[in-house]
Amino acid sequence: MTPEQFRQLAETWGGDIERWPAPTREAARRIAATAEGAAVLDQQSRFDRLLAIAPEIETARADRSSFLVLQRLAAIPQQHRLAWHQRLLRWPALVPAASLACSVMVGVWLAGALPYAHAPSDPLSVMSGVFDIYAIGYGSVQ
Amino acid sequence: MAEVSAQRQHAFRVLMRRHMPRALRVAERIVRDPAEADDIGQEAFMRVWTHAASFDPEVGKFTTWLYRIVLNLTFDRTRRRTFQALEEAGDVPDTGPHAVERLIADEELRLLNRAMAGLSDRQRGAIALFHMEGLSGEEAANAMNLSAKAFESLLGRARSALKANVQKIQQTGSHV
Repeated sequence: MTPEQFRQLAETWGGDIERWPAPTREAARRIAATAEGAAVLDQQSRFDRLLAIAPEIETARADRSSFLVLQRLAAIPQQHRLAWHQRLLRWPALVPAASLACSVMVGVWLAGALPYAHAPSDPLSVMSGVFDIYAIGYGSVQ
Repeated sequence: MAEVSAQRQHAFRVLMRRHMPRALRVAERIVRDPAEADDIGQEAFMRVWTHAASFDPEVGKFTTWLYRIVLNLTFDRTRRRTFQALEEAGDVPDTGPHAVERLIADEELRLLNRAMAGLSDRQRGAIALFHMEGLSGEEAANAMNLSAKAFESLLGRARSALKANVQKIQQTGSHV
């Protein structure tokens, strides 16, 4: 780093080398150790102090602004209501849909898993079946 | 911020108490009008509330995100605003005890405000973030949505212009 580069960096980043870009600091510290380098940094540091002066923000002023924000938020609750398609996608609305989907899946699985048996078609078996149904109907807890 | 994303107003109040002064300070440094700075601060936090879900803490700090919102709002307003005469800029109200230190501080602030009036909004933003708020070059570049090199160039030009303005004011005792 040349003294001219050092001066340019100081004019850009100010008098505190620790705030300069990391790759430049090592070389800058060596120049800062010289009288000329120290003078450059001292001059820039005085300017930095002027630039660091901030407008004074009183607590009451900040609080008033915060209060006005809350007031504005309170005035617009309806604008944040979700559209019907957004409400459908929220999890409470998905519970019945998920239950129905599970029932369908169990039904399909049972239909595939249980062996299919042809109903007997001879008259004796049909009559026997009818009596069985009645027996179940009358004998059950229902 | 997670609680603010969940629309919890208590968390939002805490967030505003902590960061509202920061937003007002940066806005005021750039627009040089306390009332307009208040409007910008309020609008910035309205955006924080409505866009909280889009904030990703893994991408950057909340303060950097807030500074970016404030700067965008500020630049939008000043772009629309008509030119304001430099004479109107930066007189500090005479408040508080008249201690010598206070007078010197007021005088310095008055000098700075007048010198800042001659800069562009983006130059004032760079000075505010780097010198007033103490952000690193990388953080300030991020908040201004600039590359590190572009921010370095902007800051260098801002300091150079400001120094020239300060010298002119000190030499002539008049406006820039």
